[in-house]
Amino acid sequence: MRILGLTTICAATLFFSCSSDDDSGTAIPINEVTTPANYSFTRDGESTVSFSGQTTRIAMAEELMSAFNDFDTSTEASLMGMFAHVEGEDDFTDPALNASDKNIRSKTAASTDYFGANATESNLIKSTFDGYISTHINEVYPNANTAAAPGVAGQIADGSSARYITGQGLEMNQVFGKGLIGALMADQMLNNYLSTAVLDEGTNRVDNDNDITVEDKAYTNMEHKWDEAYGYLFGASANEVNPLEDLGEADGFLNKYLFRVDGDADFNGIAQEIYDAFKLGRAAIVASNYEVRDEQAAIIRQKVSEVIAVRAIYYLQSGKTAIINQDLGGAFHDLSEGYGFVYSLRFTRNNQDGSSFFSRSEVDDFISMMLNDGENGLWDITPQTLDAISEAIASKFSFTVAEAAD
Amino acid sequence: MKKIIFVLASVAIIVACSSDDSVTPDDSADTFDRKAMLINWADEIIIPRYEFFDIAVNKLAADADIFTDEVTLEHLNDLRNSWQLAYTAFQNVSMFEIGAAESSRFRDRLNSYPTNTDEILSNITEGNVDLSLPSTNDAQGFPALDYLLFGVAENDTAILEFYTSHPNAAANKNYVTSLVQSMHMLSEAVLTDWQNQYRDEFVNNDGSSASSSVDKLTNDFIFYYEKSLRAGKIGIPAGVFSNEPLPENVEGRYSKIYSQQLAVSALRAARHFFEGRSFISGKDELGYDDYLNYLNSTKNGDILSALISAQFGSSKAAIDDLDDNLYDQVQNDNNAMLLAYDALQRNVILLKVDMLQALSIDVDYIDADGD
Repeated sequence: MRILGLTTICAATLFFSCSSDDDSGTAIPINEVTTPANYSFTRDGESTVSFSGQTTRIAMAEELMSAFNDFDTSTEASLMGMFAHVEGEDDFTDPALNASDKNIRSKTAASTDYFGANATESNLIKSTFDGYISTHINEVYPNANTAAAPGVAGQIADGSSARYITGQGLEMNQVFGKGLIGALMADQMLNNYLSTAVLDEGTNRVDNDNDITVEDKAYTNMEHKWDEAYGYLFGASANEVNPLEDLGEADGFLNKYLFRVDGDADFNGIAQEIYDAFKLGRAAIVASNYEVRDEQAAIIRQKVSEVIAVRAIYYLQSGKTAIINQDLGGAFHDLSEGYGFVYSLRFTRNNQDGSSFFSRSEVDDFISMMLNDGENGLWDITPQTLDAISEAIASKFSFTVAEAAD
Repeated sequence: MKKIIFVLASVAIIVACSSDDSVTPDDSADTFDRKAMLINWADEIIIPRYEFFDIAVNKLAADADIFTDEVTLEHLNDLRNSWQLAYTAFQNVSMFEIGAAESSRFRDRLNSYPTNTDEILSNITEGNVDLSLPSTNDAQGFPALDYLLFGVAENDTAILEFYTSHPNAAANKNYVTSLVQSMHMLSEAVLTDWQNQYRDEFVNNDGSSASSSVDKLTNDFIFYYEKSLRAGKIGIPAGVFSNEPLPENVEGRYSKIYSQQLAVSALRAARHFFEGRSFISGKDELGYDDYLNYLNSTKNGDILSALISAQFGSSKAAIDDLDDNLYDQVQNDNNAMLLAYDALQRNVILLKVDMLQALSIDVDYIDADGD
């Protein structure tokens, strides 16, 4: 990661050397930025970093996930209340969340770049998440004390745990939670807050160049947008300036799975690379160096996309092994997580063309393949299908299925 | 102590015998008679142990009937004794989670602890609980009976009242009956399967692939040793896997006095299986130790099988030093628990790493993802 950081700085320096040559004939780099030690930025002694909205949404999503299998108290209305919270409604146990004007659903599939002019798909995705909740409540809840069977919702043993699945073998809380990593966290980060359309919106550049801060705030608008991207990964970290300290423990969403991917020897260092890119990009905004900023955004887009793709393959392959070992409970759990990560692929970002690595129809095809080896969805899925999807995902990246699977 | 030395000596003799008898085997061609070992396992160890367990569970069921017919202190104490005997016999078979035991989730259903007392009480109120559902694991089996026979009230008089004058007395008795019936059914199902067809399927699957009987049962055995014996009985209560010790997580928490003895029984059963010791005659027959000796397996110049047997001995000595009630042991001197854990852990290395490598068996389980 150090090499990458260094390359970026050199490239930036080089670029500015050239342009300053033209101006003055001397190679003095302007706006040179280096990667700060941590994510700490101040103006007149006051921190300019703020991402409380992201912290709030992560906390809302955590409460929603833990309420999914609370069979005694949760209802479709209570889960929907957590998903599409309205300010002042008594949806959460945490009063601060109830008082918040934020909610999860309005930011699901809601990035400027992907969905700003694609309300149709945005609505479709939001409805898909609504559907996960209603399926869970209407299909799985009534059968909570029934043994699951092909076509019959109920519970199934996964080791010593009980998993609650639909008739198709899907655990809706896993599908929802892992899908949200793409549709909320990655989409907002990669396709909204790191987007030039958002960072440079209106007078943001001029304001940032001239230190014009948002009214009553210590930050410029552009600084804040960047921080909001950061917040979808590190918004729940114990130490916001050095979030790698508790990486993996801060939340059950992108933070946790970045930690998991970083723990695979084939991808070790990816967490530091992403963190460094966030720091350098933010420092570049402070220095009004937008080229370096956008290079860092590109690194984050590529790496976060890889995290999702690696995890999708990882779970498809673990599910395959479990099926071969006839451990269906374990397989359904893994494949439900895999299903959510596959769904999340739609929100990845390919720097080559600025669009997703996987189109809507490619993702829909994968999902359809997972559920259509037979009448009963995952009950009938074959190792061949799981390998085919895994290979198709890996083919868009420079890693192999085997590297992602361990 | 004398016993340990004796066992060590006999292992040493066997080592000598088997290496005298056999030509030093070529590493690449493992021609050890796996089938003979499987036959010894099935006919001399596994099936006899299940038969013994089944007798104990039958006695438990009979005493439960007597108790629920007529609730007296004498009948309660008889039932408690049967429970303790059956729980001890269970330690002999818990490691064989293969065949019908695996498909019926035998160990999870019979011995998930700490038991969930809230769930037990709500199951009693709701009635007609399906004990085959995995969500009911921690409200059934020996730990649930431990609570219902020893811990459901302050003293014996109050416990008896739970089954007599309590407003739910009938349902309370019914729950004991359904727990015991379900345990009985599990025991019968696994034993019958072994007796009827699984025995032949097991001994004939004598290859060395991942799905062969030796590879599978070896994994089950080491998984059991690592998770249920080392961690469940000692490590978890001692706080090895948590920030604080968890004394309330000992096996037999409510009966209070059996937790150490259950651990000793489990360790002995594991050691005897390792050594291939017949449950019928007590003789040391074909087991892992012979297989390792046949392969001339050593570690740092020492005979591997002897190292493992010696470590079983050290573990036994460390557990013998503990209080009868491991709850008290954790509270009063947790360091002794940690020493016992360390002794058990040393054999995880020898079994899971060194033995599996020597036998060319791959570990087929990984630590759960945790989500």
